[in-house]
Amino acid sequence: MRSAKAIFIKQLQDTFKNRMILIQFAMFPIMAFVMTELVAKANDGIPNNMFVTMFAAIFVGMTPLVMTNSAIAEDREHKSLRFLVMAGVKPYEYLLGIGGFVLVVCSLASVVFGLIGGFAGMEFVKFVSVLILGSVASILLGSIIGILSKNQQAATAVGTPVFMILAFTPMIASFNETIEKAADIFYTQQINVLVNDFSVGVTKPFLIIMANIAILLVLFILAYKKKGLKI
Amino acid sequence: MAPGKYVANKITIKWATNRSQNTPLKIQAICRKSYIVTLLQSVAIIRARRQFMIKMNNIVKSFGGQPVLSDVTFETREKEIFGLLGPSGAGKTTIINILTNQLDADGGSHSIGATPFETGLMLDEDGLYPRLNCLENLNVFAGIYGIPRNKSMEALKRVHLEDASRKAVNTLSKGMRQRLALARAILHEPTVLFLDEPTSGLDPVTARGIHKLIQTLRENGATIFLTTHNMDEAVKLCDRIALLHRGKIVEQGAPAEICQRHNAVKTVPDLEAVFIKLTGVELE
Repeated sequence: MRSAKAIFIKQLQDTFKNRMILIQFAMFPIMAFVMTELVAKANDGIPNNMFVTMFAAIFVGMTPLVMTNSAIAEDREHKSLRFLVMAGVKPYEYLLGIGGFVLVVCSLASVVFGLIGGFAGMEFVKFVSVLILGSVASILLGSIIGILSKNQQAATAVGTPVFMILAFTPMIASFNETIEKAADIFYTQQINVLVNDFSVGVTKPFLIIMANIAILLVLFILAYKKKGLKI
Repeated sequence: MAPGKYVANKITIKWATNRSQNTPLKIQAICRKSYIVTLLQSVAIIRARRQFMIKMNNIVKSFGGQPVLSDVTFETREKEIFGLLGPSGAGKTTIINILTNQLDADGGSHSIGATPFETGLMLDEDGLYPRLNCLENLNVFAGIYGIPRNKSMEALKRVHLEDASRKAVNTLSKGMRQRLALARAILHEPTVLFLDEPTSGLDPVTARGIHKLIQTLRENGATIFLTTHNMDEAVKLCDRIALLHRGKIVEQGAPAEICQRHNAVKTVPDLEAVFIKLTGVELE
């Protein structure tokens, strides 16, 4: 755990000095805030939290995935991983440090989304919990891409279409019934459904999200066994 | 697993097994005697093995059917500076990668008398975090090794980088980065230190500083394994060397001995002349 803590702190310091990642992290909450204040609250026909739920769903499908895979791929590309492994850091400690940091950051962002959206009480708890669950799934997916990628370029090449599908399908699905049916299997679609209306019933979306996490966990174990953190 | 640790574990297991049995006192006394004998024997084995901190036996390695190392055998004694010399592409880095378990050999065996926590590493690629400053870079590893953070500053002082402690790595010169990589390698005071061309591309003043530090580390008890293609550096620093050419060790021993053996001592030992004589190839 000592190594995981050291990597967590490293990731925290590094993120604050990495403008690209900071922009990606802050972009969606800021956009949600601006759109809510300028558009939603100024138009009676638009629900006040419409932009918050929309951007929160995109955030969950994109940011944790990109943050995780770019961190792993960058460490691999700069050969920093080599020195960590040589210092006795176990691969699971490394992944725990990176994934743990991304989860904490995304959980904080989820709270910010909840506050901007004006959720209160149990609704706030449900909203934040659903976003955290989605972040876990995206972190697993980002780790798989990071483990299998040789460098940052490869990680971006694979990661971009994946997050585009996951993050934007729920938005497109609202215009097309066929896409909506197909998108039903994605955790991001279920998150979108839940955060928009908790009264639709939690069981089915929750089960689909958990099934997604279970499948990603199996894929993560397979990728880890196949390649681990080998240079 | 390190050989010393393996033997020590065996003793522990044997001790625990015998103590758990409810044996009469006499037998217990005999057992205790045998423990002492076993313990002494094991200590002797550990010491014998420790005399050779790094050992490679008949290592063979090829990449895509192209042989890179053929039958490489050498030993590095405790507290010595062992130099592996050869031109670029001779297989020096491959040997370090195999010794540090980053690469699997196709055949042969190797061992190091130290755990990963007792091993320091400075490679051709520094692996530093470019956005973090010097101190933060070392603090990551201080956290991993579980040593106090003030050791990071001490390590920076040893490589004369204390004034640059708050500078981001991506703003440092090559020489400064190399010194920082060395500071990271010695941060936890390792017993075995691998240095892959530590002064390659450095100005003479910085290189001299690194030489001094390497000698100090050896005086403090570290075993140092360094690769270089600089013959003067090898003569100046190394207790023993091995000359590597196209993946084969063509000669090994103390630099002066090797030069004497090949009549290459005029005013000073001329390792380069020996290398050319043995391989017919001039170093770059």
